[in-house]
Amino acid sequence: MIRPEVDLSVTLGRIAMKNPIATASGCSGYGEELARFFDLSLLGAFVTKSITLKPREGHPPPRLTETRAGMLNAIGLANVGVETFLAEKLPALEAFRVPVIVNVAGSTREEYVEVAAALDAAPAVAGIELNVSCPNVKEGGMEFGVEARTLAGLVEAVRQKVSRATLIVKLSPNVTDIAATARAAAEAGADALSLINTLRGMAVDGWTGRPALTNVTGGLSGPAIKPVALYMVRRVWQEVAGPRGVPILGLGGVQFVEDVLEFLRAGATAVAVGTANFVDPETAPKLVEGLREALGRLGCGSPRDMVGAMDLPK
Amino acid sequence: MANEETTRSVDAVRPRRLDLPVVARHPLGHGFLRLSLDAPPDWLSLPGQFINVLCESDMAALAASEGRDAEVEADWPRATGIELIRRWPVVRRPFSVSRVGTMADVASPGRVAHEVGRMRLEILVRAVGTGSRFLHSRPVGSLLNAVGPLGNHFAPPQDDRLCILVGGGCGVAPIFGLADHLADLGKPCLCFFGAKDAGDMPVTYRRTPEPTGSRIAPTEVVEEFAEDDIPAVLATEDGSAGFRGMVTDALEAYLRDAWKGEPLALFGCGPTAMLKALGAVAARHGLPCQMSLERFMGCGIGVCLSCAAKRRDPSSEKGWTYRLTCRDGPVVDAADMIWD
Ligand SMILES: Cc1cc2nc3c(=O)[nH]c(=O)nc-3n(C[C@H](O)[C@H](O)[C@H](O)COP(=O)(O)OP(=O)(O)OC[C@H]3O[C@@H](n4cnc5c(N)ncnc54)[C@H](O)[C@@H]3O)c2cc1C
Ligand SMILES: Cc1cc2nc3c(=O)[nH]c(=O)nc-3n(C[C@H](O)[C@H](O)[C@H](O)COP(=O)(O)O)c2cc1C
Ligand code: FES
Repeated sequence: MIRPEVDLSVTLGRIAMKNPIATASGCSGYGEELARFFDLSLLGAFVTKSITLKPREGHPPPRLTETRAGMLNAIGLANVGVETFLAEKLPALEAFRVPVIVNVAGSTREEYVEVAAALDAAPAVAGIELNVSCPNVKEGGMEFGVEARTLAGLVEAVRQKVSRATLIVKLSPNVTDIAATARAAAEAGADALSLINTLRGMAVDGWTGRPALTNVTGGLSGPAIKPVALYMVRRVWQEVAGPRGVPILGLGGVQFVEDVLEFLRAGATAVAVGTANFVDPETAPKLVEGLREALGRLGCGSPRDMVGAMDLPK
Repeated sequence: MANEETTRSVDAVRPRRLDLPVVARHPLGHGFLRLSLDAPPDWLSLPGQFINVLCESDMAALAASEGRDAEVEADWPRATGIELIRRWPVVRRPFSVSRVGTMADVASPGRVAHEVGRMRLEILVRAVGTGSRFLHSRPVGSLLNAVGPLGNHFAPPQDDRLCILVGGGCGVAPIFGLADHLADLGKPCLCFFGAKDAGDMPVTYRRTPEPTGSRIAPTEVVEEFAEDDIPAVLATEDGSAGFRGMVTDALEAYLRDAWKGEPLALFGCGPTAMLKALGAVAARHGLPCQMSLERFMGCGIGVCLSCAAKRRDPSSEKGWTYRLTCRDGPVVDAADMIWD
């Protein structure tokens, strides 16, 4: 069989990615850690740990536990804070020559806006991803991302201060209707949507009654959540992203080339790798090569042709 | 090689993902297994560093269990190697590199002989759960997929002071490597090994060790130290071998009875309770002490932030910060630890 030349490039908002493979927030550090294993410029994009206005120590350990086919984490947004990030981490990341997407978290709307504005002013930041799975302290701790109106308010406020960087809203799966929050984010000005963040979960020792995490609850990630992620990507693509042309960065349990193909078919334009980095730090560059080969086998010249392409029952 | 030179070259080593063949297995005591692994000739690590082992990686068994035929296997997706991580659950499991060296006679438990050829790397595995039991089941010839070397390492003293090495349970693993390293550097050392009873000690005995009650008596029964004549004090909780009591009590008794106040350096690895007690002994006598910590590790490479441990930090408002055990550890200065 003659295989076509495969062009892996895609665009996410205004970010030109040389391939659709990115790293996921909180699973890839600030870049230098994974760079000990591979050349980061092989990636389509690099997504940082959540950055907040002030440095955060994070939750007391244990912060992470294994579950069947996945893991549960309550890291507590430990990070260096936006000031140190801009001064120390960003220049190092810039040197890797990979589009940088900075994930942003906050506990008030003002905090998100301030961090996003500071990042938008830094030319090395290609994209800003809002982690809206954080408790809103002014609204009794309810997550920003679970209620469409709150989410729209947040995205609008951030959008006003972000004129240059691509604004990505990372949707929480802990909602009744993912299409509703996706629509709210898109209408409020998001350039792209990423989904899914972790699913809320808990682990307890049945014999002793002790929770596995100090925080008691945590976010579930890994292969266990992939079917949920695929469903949500599909729904958002059909209802919101497809009709409006807002691209999706899909994630949740991606580990193998097959997973990437599945996310593309569900409707994702690009795909991010999270938990799998812990098992094999070289997962992402392997997926790039694997995807090139897989598309060749499928006789498909570009991942763009695969987006949303499912062979549905008539 | 000079001390600083070795350190510099080790610090420049990037961790790699490797398939390490099992070349020998030595069951030791209760539930301990020493695995000798064949490492690439350019392997370089220092005592205290660890490898993070995938606890399901046997390619042949994997292909067989999934019924994939050889042809498909050869064609796809081997080219990308992605199938290595197909097995789940399980994040990798961290194990200290115990001893390292070039080796021909893999059957001998003794010090690694310097011979031409591949490097040998040893780990000591205590069976406690799924991952460690899996490693116990690995036959000679199977491959272990490991990422390493990871973490920092023990720093030998600049002068020729006596180094006292304290190991408890599988914490003796890096202690062996450290004793080898100190012997290479020509630095004197004395080991203290602690366990519940004589059978619970992950060492090879040349002859049956004697109980010594409350007396501190270095012994030569540890086969692993025969070549370098490194003395070891054994301590067992039931008194069946060496000192009766905790290993830190044995150390305390030694300092009380035999120590004349000359400079010493303490090094430790073992269960948290032992490390806490060791830190207290060091503080009481004003001795420098480095210890290797154990924490749950989600990634071992500094990206998941799960292995945080509290350390003293005068520059922070609270007086402490969380530091990553996999990167700014596992070896820490005992004086910096804050035990929760
Ligand atoms: C830097 C470092 C070096 C280590 N070196 C060695 C070594 O040389 N030899 C050795 O035998 N072990 C060592 N360990 C501990 C080893 O990693 C754990 O015993 C192993 O991960 C347990 O995996 P499992 O799947 O068998 O147990 P699991 O099924 O995960 O758990 C079974 C039981 O073991 C306990 N356990 C799990 N992880 C740990 C842990 N990290 N420490 C203590 N208890 C744990 C659990 O609480 C549970 O009760 C080291 C750990 C670290 C962090
Ligand atoms: C240890 C850990 C830390 C994470 N930290 C963040 C974070 O800081 N911000 C964020 O938006 N998502 C964070 N996530 C969520 C991931 O980015 C991702 O959405 C989720 O884990 C699903 O992908 P996966 O199954 O490939 O891991 C974290 C996940 C894990 C496992
Ligand atoms: S084990 Fe993941 S950061 Fe240390």
